[in-house]
Amino acid sequence: MVEITDKPLDYAALTEQARHNNAGAVCVFLGTVREMTGDRRTTALDYEAYPEMALKKMAELEAEARERWQIIEAVIVHRVGRLDLGEISVVVVVSCPHRKEAFEACRWLMDTFKEVVPIWKRENWADGGEEWVHPGLST
Amino acid sequence: MTQTPPAIAAIVPAAGASRRMGRSKPLLEFEGRPLIARVVSALVEGGARPVVVVAPPADSPEGPPIARVAAEAGAIVLTPETRPAEMRDSVELAIGELTRQAPPPVAIALAPADGPGIDGALVARLLDVWRESPERIIIPKAGGRRGHPVVIPWRFVMEIPSLPPEVGINALMADCAGDVLEVDVADKALIADLDTPEDLQRLREAEGRQVRTVRLFAVARERVGRGEITVELPEGATVADLRAALAEQFPPLAPIAGRVMIAVDSEYADDAMAVPAGASLAVIPPVSGG
Repeated sequence: MVEITDKPLDYAALTEQARHNNAGAVCVFLGTVREMTGDRRTTALDYEAYPEMALKKMAELEAEARERWQIIEAVIVHRVGRLDLGEISVVVVVSCPHRKEAFEACRWLMDTFKEVVPIWKRENWADGGEEWVHPGLST
Repeated sequence: MTQTPPAIAAIVPAAGASRRMGRSKPLLEFEGRPLIARVVSALVEGGARPVVVVAPPADSPEGPPIARVAAEAGAIVLTPETRPAEMRDSVELAIGELTRQAPPPVAIALAPADGPGIDGALVARLLDVWRESPERIIIPKAGGRRGHPVVIPWRFVMEIPSLPPEVGINALMADCAGDVLEVDVADKALIADLDTPEDLQRLREAEGRQVRTVRLFAVARERVGRGEITVELPEGATVADLRAALAEQFPPLAPIAGRVMIAVDSEYADDAMAVPAGASLAVIPPVSGG
C-alpha cells in the first residue's frame, strides 16, 4: 500500500495494516523531523511532492521489493506540508515470515525511496533562512 | 524652402512586468524578431515620427535588452529609474518627452509593445484615416473587438495627465466616446492580444513551433516563482533541447537546468529522448524525501 498525505501519520494504525498471522516479523521504519544538523538548529521542515510521479515510483518500489523478498504486507506512506520537530514524515512497514527479510526489505525500501521518489524537503533554520535540500545540487 | 509636414508620433509603453505571461513580452520573438522590434518597425514604416518607447528600468533584467532592440529598430527610448506602476504612467512619460519637441506632434499612435500582428500597412492605413478625420480618435476593430494601434489627436493626448489618478487611458476613450471612429480591419490576428501563456501558444502554433507546459518543483519552482511554465521548443525536440530551452527562456533556471532530472510522463528521461507530443513534463531537482 502506498500513500501521500498531508495529515499526521498514525504509525500504530499503519503497523496494524501490515500485521498478519503468517508474519513472524514486522519491521517498522519512521522518518522523523530532527532538530540538530551539526551545529544548526531546525525549527520545521516543509515537504513537497510531485504526487502523480511519487505515487507511481512508490508503487514500483513496493512491486520490486515483493519480487526480491517474501513480503506479506508492505506499507509506504509519506507526509507533505509543514512538519514540526519530532513529527513523522515517512512510515515504512514490512511484514514477512522471518525477521531477516523484513529488516532487509524495509531498509532497501527506505534507502531506494530517498533516491528515486520525487519528494523534497525544505529546511527552516532557527538562525533564519530556508533552503531546499537537493543533494549534489549546489546553486 | 521645404516645410516639414506635421508629424504623427507614436508611443509604445514597454515598461510593464508581463506578470500574466511570466516572461518579458516585448522580447518574445515572432517570426525571428522580438515583438518590440516588430512594433517599432511597423510604426516607422507606417509613417509615425518619432516613435517613443518607454522601456523598463535599466536595473531590471529585461530593461537593457528592450532598450537596445527598440533603439536599433529606430525608436527614441526613455528609461525611467523606477518601473512605472501603470501603463498610463509610461504614456505620460512619453507625452512629456513629446511636449518638449518643437513643434509637438499633431497626433499619436499608441501601440502595445507586444502586438504580434501590427504591421506597417495597418499603421499607414490608420494614420490615413486619421488625416481624413483629424478631430477623431481612430480605433481598429476586428471580429467585434477593439485593437491597436489607436490614433489620438494631440489635444486629447494632452488631457491624459489631468485624468483622475485612479483611471487608465481607457477612461479617455470613454470620456470621448462620441469622438471615436472605429475602423474595421479584416484580420483578427492584426489586433490579437498577447497577455497569457495561452495567447503565446496560439501564436507559436501559427508559426509551427510547439509550446509545452512544464511543471516545476522545490528549488526550481521557487526560483521561477510559479509551479508551471510554458516553454517553446523546436519541432522534434529532445530532452536535451528542453534543458537548453529552460535555461534560455527562464534565466533563473540556467544554473540548475543541466543538473536536474527531467520527467516525461512521470518517468526519468534520458537527454537523447525525443519529447513526445502530449506528454506531461516536469523538472525534478535532486530528491530529498524521507
